[in-house]
Amino acid sequence: MTYDERVAEFKAGIDAGRKVEAGDWMPDEYRQAALKFIEMHANSEVMGALPEGTWIPRAPTLKRKLSLTAKVQDEVGHGQILYRVAEDIGKTREQMFDDLVNGRTKFHNVFHYPAETWGDVAYIGFLIDGAALVNQKALLDASYMPYVRAMRRICPEESLHLRHGEQLVLELVSGSDAQRKLFQDAVNRWWQPTMHFFGPPSKQKDMLIYWGIKTRTNESLRQEFFTTYVPKLWDLGITVPDPGLAWNEERGEWDWTQPDWDEFWRVVKGDGPMTHIRLAQRKTVWDTHAWVREVFAGIPEQPAA
Amino acid sequence: MPVWEVLGRRTEGDPFAVVGGVKAPDAEMALLLARETHFRHKEGVSYGVRRRGEGHIHEGTWPANELGGVTDRSYRRQEGYVGVGAQMKRVHRELAARGLVVRGPTPPSTRSSRDDVDD
Repeated sequence: MTYDERVAEFKAGIDAGRKVEAGDWMPDEYRQAALKFIEMHANSEVMGALPEGTWIPRAPTLKRKLSLTAKVQDEVGHGQILYRVAEDIGKTREQMFDDLVNGRTKFHNVFHYPAETWGDVAYIGFLIDGAALVNQKALLDASYMPYVRAMRRICPEESLHLRHGEQLVLELVSGSDAQRKLFQDAVNRWWQPTMHFFGPPSKQKDMLIYWGIKTRTNESLRQEFFTTYVPKLWDLGITVPDPGLAWNEERGEWDWTQPDWDEFWRVVKGDGPMTHIRLAQRKTVWDTHAWVREVFAGIPEQPAA
Repeated sequence: MPVWEVLGRRTEGDPFAVVGGVKAPDAEMALLLARETHFRHKEGVSYGVRRRGEGHIHEGTWPANELGGVTDRSYRRQEGYVGVGAQMKRVHRELAARGLVVRGPTPPSTRSSRDDVDD
């Protein structure tokens, strides 16, 4: 069988619902697409721990400190699980992390922004985790089975984080005027990054969808996010800073204003407000703890004298 | 470093199923990592690891009631957030009574739950 024939057979299998395991033969295009996607997801989990990690010492109660600590532990754990999945596709964890901290690979746009207030922590827990959950539930039907298993673990934990975020939001919006304003300010600052989070409109031939690594378009996921969360925000008296956002009964979808996509590309390419600071934090620990990795890996072979 | 498949039994009587993987130098470390990364939230009643390519399952020794810890960790589990849904409805009602909710058309799937509270 030629390579092209094998690829055609593989694609037919994907289209028929076949799942791919780590040791299975896969086309180079599938391998590269899956690796890039899962690596970025893993990167995003470990970088996503940083905005909220800074709030652990500043959280207003012991209960909230414990909850944030548990959440941060979960996020880093997700990174660990996803790096393990990506390793089987063909890149070592060490190389992936080295590429991340040296700015050679990407992570989600939302983790390039600062968490300025407790209102931001509530927003992140409710709406960023909510957006992530919309994405991740769609991945439960992906073609790459080790990734599906990882999502089966990650989705329940993200649901838990969402509940925590929802609880924080309810405390703020049912509190004083200052507390309501704190959350409304967070919504006003974070709404555009959240719209960016789902990505630009999917290309005609999205390779991730072609190979079944993703199962839904960016726009479909964004529309689900609107349907799930905009009515809830409105029910809590919170406005959304998009005057063009409205349910279009005739088309059966939400109308909304396209955000500034130039900002999106600038941020994901490494020029966000907190990109350099957060990567520097990760790199400092990565470099100074190299001895721990060396202990686990064994003493490296010395070059011949 | 060898790769170990992580296996778990969701309930008594279930067969072991693969739930993920870890890298570890030996079975002891693999079991420790598996327990902490895959069973931290009481995801099953028993766990084990199997070195990739081999058939033998090394079963973990922690009993089901100790998996996930023995102290109160409800803040990291769903049981710690029971009632949040009802709280959302209650807060909505209170804010609606104060005239603070935002009105606007929404998808049909969202209307029945909002109609219970609005006006």
